[in-house]
Amino acid sequence: MKITQREVANAVVLDLNGKLTGGPDAETFREVFKSLLEQGKKNIIVNLEKVSWINSTGLGILISGYTTVRRGGGELVIMHASERIESILYVTKLNLLFKAFETEEEALKSLSGSGGAS
Amino acid sequence: MDVLPDEMIFDLPSDFRYLGAVDAALQDLAREFSFSEDALNDVSTALVEACSNAIEHGNKFSKEKRVRVAIRFSGNRFSARVTDEGDGFDFESGLDDDSPPDPLSERGRGLMIMKAFTDELTYRREAVGLSLELVKICDIEEGEAGVAD
Repeated sequence: MKITQREVANAVVLDLNGKLTGGPDAETFREVFKSLLEQGKKNIIVNLEKVSWINSTGLGILISGYTTVRRGGGELVIMHASERIESILYVTKLNLLFKAFETEEEALKSLSGSGGAS
Repeated sequence: MDVLPDEMIFDLPSDFRYLGAVDAALQDLAREFSFSEDALNDVSTALVEACSNAIEHGNKFSKEKRVRVAIRFSGNRFSARVTDEGDGFDFESGLDDDSPPDPLSERGRGLMIMKAFTDELTYRREAVGLSLELVKICDIEEGEAGVAD
């Protein structure tokens, strides 16, 4: 799993590339979220466009990120989830936890009222 | 492991990095056997989760232990047997429990995923490890015959 960061308007977009399966990815994510919060960057958009699939351990990584960011006073949303990933979120009821958007514009708009991002 | 004539076998190290190869091979085969895109995603998701489960909870990522996967396409029926070499774990109570975990819990969704994307899910304790069988009756793309027994 490769993670690249970019700042857009009031948010940081994490572009993920690969498969989200846990293992070493979990520690990488923890460090990324910790670092962003330390820098006061609290609005996070996780871009799943190039994530081919995810397993239950990968879901755990996303939930861990969500919890970390929320505890730090921020927001985490996801965008560009494939049908395969959307169906996993649906059957696990995590579609009720994660706000998911089809476009970056919509994701940014949802965070515009959250303040204190970048 | 007994192998049927039309089964394909994968023999994996206990490492998540090998899951992608199983997924890619399964997707390719499912297309070859004319499974619909939805069916293809369902069987791939369920099988990847079963392998993840065997690697993590069965073999506990041990480098000395393997995961064996036998997959079979028969007409519109897909089946897979995933066998680990672990000490076993309480699969039975998980199969009977349909309650979702706490939304913020980072664990406890593997069985939920496997059950949701298959029609049958059974397990068997082996002399060493646990064997999990998944069955899915799939839609076949129109105009394609699929492959008979």
